[in-house]
Amino acid sequence: MLRIAAFSRLVSRSSLTAGRAMPKTMPQALGLSLTPVRFHGHVHKPKPGEELHVTFILKDGTQRKYEVCKGDSLLDIAQAHNLDMEGACGGSCACSTCHVIVDPEYYDALEEPDDDENDMLDLAYGLTETSRLGCQIKMSKDVDGIRVALPALTRNVSNADFE
Amino acid sequence: MLRIAHKTTFGLRFLTTERKSVSVVGSGPSGFYTVCRLLAKAQIPLDVTLWEKLPVPFGLSRYGVAPDHPEVKNCEDTFSRCAEEFAHGTGKGHSFRFVGNVDVGRDVKLKKLLETQDAVVLSYGCSGDHKLGIPGENTTAGVFTSREIVNWYNGHPEYSGVKDKLSSFDWSKVRRVGIIGNGNVALDITRVLLSNQIKDIWTHTDINPEALKALNEAPVENVKLIARRDFSHSKFTNKEFRELWELERFGIRGTISPEFFKASQFDMKNAERVFKRRVEMVSEYMLPFDQRTKKNYKKHRPPSTIPSRTWEMDYLKTPLTINGNSEGKLESLTLCRNILTQDNKLEQRKSDTLNYDLDLLITSLGYGSSALEEFDALQIGFATNRIANTNGYVLDTNGVIVRGLFAAGWIRRGSSGVIASTMSDAFEVADAVIAELESGSLPKNKDVDLSRINYTTWDDWEKIDKEERSRGQLQGKPRVKFLSTHEMLQFLRK
Repeated sequence: MLRIAAFSRLVSRSSLTAGRAMPKTMPQALGLSLTPVRFHGHVHKPKPGEELHVTFILKDGTQRKYEVCKGDSLLDIAQAHNLDMEGACGGSCACSTCHVIVDPEYYDALEEPDDDENDMLDLAYGLTETSRLGCQIKMSKDVDGIRVALPALTRNVSNADFE
Repeated sequence: MLRIAHKTTFGLRFLTTERKSVSVVGSGPSGFYTVCRLLAKAQIPLDVTLWEKLPVPFGLSRYGVAPDHPEVKNCEDTFSRCAEEFAHGTGKGHSFRFVGNVDVGRDVKLKKLLETQDAVVLSYGCSGDHKLGIPGENTTAGVFTSREIVNWYNGHPEYSGVKDKLSSFDWSKVRRVGIIGNGNVALDITRVLLSNQIKDIWTHTDINPEALKALNEAPVENVKLIARRDFSHSKFTNKEFRELWELERFGIRGTISPEFFKASQFDMKNAERVFKRRVEMVSEYMLPFDQRTKKNYKKHRPPSTIPSRTWEMDYLKTPLTINGNSEGKLESLTLCRNILTQDNKLEQRKSDTLNYDLDLLITSLGYGSSALEEFDALQIGFATNRIANTNGYVLDTNGVIVRGLFAAGWIRRGSSGVIASTMSDAFEVADAVIAELESGSLPKNKDVDLSRINYTTWDDWEKIDKEERSRGQLQGKPRVKFLSTHEMLQFLRK
């Protein structure tokens, strides 16, 4: 099958643009070298031994598991890997386009959503008891191994999707 | 048909070298999301043209979203990245061009587009206003529609700059305001009117400076948000409602009379999540600050002085007449009380009337859309505020699909929903367009003659964008907008 990922690539391209705005001398000053952009988007490469894991269940049911870094948001991770997740407001908790459904096993390990997030979840398609915004979930040890499903636009996703 | 896969500079693989052309009419979120989706997903090389009536893109994102909600406008970044990626295509992959300052239907005929383009998507949204249709509405000074107000404070070329009639309105007399309507636009306007003198909120926004100056003159004391139905029928979202309550930190206080809101009156067990949260919000915010039970309602202690500015939700009333004085200036609004029957029908009590003395009345009844003049001749179906369509495929007056013609966004579904819902709508329609284009009919791909038209390009927009941003930078704002089309074109001619 042909894989078309130009739209997601646009997003990753933006991070390159953003990178250009950083002081050019910074990496050297910190004694770092610039490595080829393998982890693009706004994500970071985890240090060896500190890798965390996340699994995305896509709209067609396929699963993608990634090794990720503490502090990265699910929106950034999804976009860095060209998954079909929009962030219309740029990850500022002002829309509901990065809606994900969290595996109930992990839901309680997350901090409770605040008012701003709940106000946006009000507007999400196919809202479930364990719905969250991808931009508001930051990876941490507490949620290592977390599994989330991307809701299809035209059908309701239920917890059965995790079985 | 021979299908050859070849790789393009964008890394896309196409099934064919035969190019197809798509025109999208209107560059607001629905139009632009349609374009982005087409360019991301189509497996045949496309020449996409995005038509826009104004010289500049983004429609309601630029001119409808409130200036203190810049994060909602972040979708423009996605649109720009998409445009930049494809505006300078190599001829093998997709190409994109923006054609601004061109009114499809007048400057370029829709008929022409249908003849030359393989697919046309209408996404021109809603440029009109719903009206009350009561005496005094069109003749009384001091009565405005929400579109006039919103487009004015957002610097829309048709409502600001040389066409500005709102800046010359005498705002220094505006103490009592009535807003008819209960949607997010009504709440946005309430927030703008009540907080206009709070520099923290507005200094660093791209609000039309002329509008801000005029609004600053207004000693607004009270805004009534008037609705025909009751609290449970309010259309606004919890985010906008919360923002209004949170103005209490500036001494701006909201209220709902017990006549219209008693938490005990609602069937909370069977209520939906959104409504439950709304009831909790009101119950908590109506309590004195120290008596509130949840900490998220105690974020900012209001000043101890008596609130000098208030807003109130006012329900179950229908406006009957707008009354002016001998000079034609607004004096009051006459309304009647309504009741809701058991089966949710609205009954007006025409004899049970009351009068509100008002200095400003804004009707915020939703945006209306209109048919293009050509629809009649082309036999395109149009009814109750939207183009006749099934899943985005436009229907003719007999209910038959018009090949190659689609509709997306508010012109397809009516004027409601946030950008997220418009986005998924646009994606659905774009996918339908792609399916149609890939189904194999022969491409038309003829040019539309623009030689006699003074249009703007994406490069032109980038120049305007850069200029607006650098003007804004000097003042600590995201941008300072050009306020008229003339000014934009003048700038580009330099």
